[in-house]
Amino acid sequence: MKTTFLLPNSYKKIGWILLCTTLLLIILSTGKNPVINISIHVFAINNGQIFQNNEWFVWIENSIIDELICLFFILGSFFVGFSKAKFEDEYISKIRLESLAWVTYLNYGVLFISILFVYGSSFLTVLVYNLFTTLIFFLLRFNWLIYKSKKLVLSEK
Amino acid sequence: MKNNLKVERARKNLTQGSLATLVGVSRQTINAIESGKYNLSTILALKIAKVFECDIEEIFILEEGD
Repeated sequence: MKTTFLLPNSYKKIGWILLCTTLLLIILSTGKNPVINISIHVFAINNGQIFQNNEWFVWIENSIIDELICLFFILGSFFVGFSKAKFEDEYISKIRLESLAWVTYLNYGVLFISILFVYGSSFLTVLVYNLFTTLIFFLLRFNWLIYKSKKLVLSEK
Repeated sequence: MKNNLKVERARKNLTQGSLATLVGVSRQTINAIESGKYNLSTILALKIAKVFECDIEEIFILEEGD
C-alpha cells in the first residue's frame, strides 16, 4: 500500500544519534560554566535587537550552540518519527497518524490553558517550548504505542 | 467488525507470524486485527481471504452499529 512519504529505515539510527547529540549539546552548553561555546560570523536576513532598530541582510557575530541544538533536534525528531519502521505496514502507519492527531490535541490543549493562565514574559517561554513539545510528545506517543504492541505479541507467545 | 481470524488460522494451522509473512505485514498487525483493535484495509482483507481460500465475509463480519 502506498503511504505518505517516509525516509528509508536507516535514517532512524541517524535520527537517534542526532537526538543524543542534541541532549549532549544542551548539557554542555547550559549551567553556570558552559563547557562549549562556538561564536562565528553568520548571515542574518533580519537581526532584531531590543532598544535598537532591526537590521536587515547583515553579517553578525553569534553563538550558534542554540541554533545547532534546535536544528539537530528538529532533524533528529523527523528522522526518527518519519522514517520507515523495519517492517513498515498499514498498522504502523495508522499508529503514526493517530499519534500525530493525538499530539496536536495535547499540544493545543496545553497552549489553550497557557493562554488562560500564563502571562507576561513567561508566556513567551511557553511559546518557545511549544515549538518543540509537538515533536517530543509525538515521538514519545508513537514509540510507546509501538513498544506496547510488540510487548503484547511477545506475551502471547 | 468481528472476525474469525483466530479460528481460521487454527484450522489452517498457521501462526500469527506465518500468516503475517504470507500477507506481507508485521506480526503486530495480525495481532491487532485479531484482538479487534485495528480495522484493516480492504487490500489486506482481500489478501487474507486469498490465503484462506474463502470470501472476505467468512472471516470478517459486519456488526450492528458499524
